Amino acid sequence: MNIDLYTVRDLFAGHYFLFAFLASLGTIQITTANSGIRGLWLTPHAGVTRLLGVALILTGAVIFFTQPLWVEGPWAVGSVEADSTTRQWGTAAWHELAGARNVNDIHGGLDGIKQAIWFSLATLTAFATSAIGGAISLKILAVSVGGASEEEYLSSYEDDGLEGLKRRSFLSNLPISYGNFRTDIPQVWNSIMEVADDWSVFKLFSGRAGK
Amino acid sequence: MTAFEAEIVIWLNGFSGSFKAFDDLMRIAASDYLMPLVFSLGMFGLWFSGNAPAERVRYQVQMLVGIGALSIANVVVWLFNITLDRARPFVEYGDQLNLLFYPPTDPSFPANPVAVGFAASTAAWVINRKFGWWMYAAATLFGFSRLYAGVFYPTDIIGGALVGIAVYSFTTYLRRFLEPLVTTFVRLIRGLSAA
Repeated sequence: MNIDLYTVRDLFAGHYFLFAFLASLGTIQITTANSGIRGLWLTPHAGVTRLLGVALILTGAVIFFTQPLWVEGPWAVGSVEADSTTRQWGTAAWHELAGARNVNDIHGGLDGIKQAIWFSLATLTAFATSAIGGAISLKILAVSVGGASEEEYLSSYEDDGLEGLKRRSFLSNLPISYGNFRTDIPQVWNSIMEVADDWSVFKLFSGRAGK
Repeated sequence: MTAFEAEIVIWLNGFSGSFKAFDDLMRIAASDYLMPLVFSLGMFGLWFSGNAPAERVRYQVQMLVGIGALSIANVVVWLFNITLDRARPFVEYGDQLNLLFYPPTDPSFPANPVAVGFAASTAAWVINRKFGWWMYAAATLFGFSRLYAGVFYPTDIIGGALVGIAVYSFTTYLRRFLEPLVTTFVRLIRGLSAA
């Protein structure tokens, strides 16, 4: 059976995106649970968020590697060990499942660049999902943080970025973070420039090397 | 050297077919999708790690260096590939090997997946030793699975690991060359409430 290259590539892209999205979402949940960034938690409790993160990663991997059992693709019974070009279209059998995903990128698998693009999109989607989930946790569930509600904490402008997300939702935190960035950026640039190596290209061009 | 290495690959690959569960584990570990995603997630996880803002900035800069190293490692492997066209083990000893993976068409030396894995692992190890060792273990398993599958020689794996570590070292200097741009980029993302 001659399989269209683009059909195989589209199939892999969709499956890989789901895998990368679930795994990225899980990674965000585990790491933010450890660092206390509540604005990105999908649940109000650190322990549950951490467990949910592990479950999301495992679910992503299990779905990705077992999909050939029920989704038709270039992994039909008897053709998994064969060169990619001669593979049959259909579902895989259990005994061939482990090798079903091993399709060369020249025969429709995803090469490194395509994986990088899909992974980047998946991480952005996972971050957006976490931000929405975090807002629901903080606002609808009215989670109190250190005795103060999110509204009370909004009056504090010192913490921004991920540090601000420890107690604010993403949308509440964004104007504060951006405002601080606009105020700080000239000072940040100059202070890093001062401590940068003499061979920094920016230091060299600005004539500040060796000073 | 290649004849001796071929003996190692043939000996190791000779165990395939004895334990189906182990063969299946190696097929999944050798996949183009699992370990590269593990390395990418390892780098991605660094972005949100650290409890204090200053510590987090260190992790985030390190993540950018790691991703840079990962990308440059691909370019360095490509440069080796266009210079040294070493045939894969299954091309020269195909009749003695039970190939567990699809037959790749690019040259064997150095092992690209291992170079990428070791570049990311070194970036992780520099900032957090325990996490780095886990990443090294994943990169080593990735290399071993490809060796067991019959698509790399041992020196391809060692070469890939050395390329990965060397490229990481180079990227740390590249970062210093580009400062204050790298740290300012992190500050910009913080302004967008994501760093």
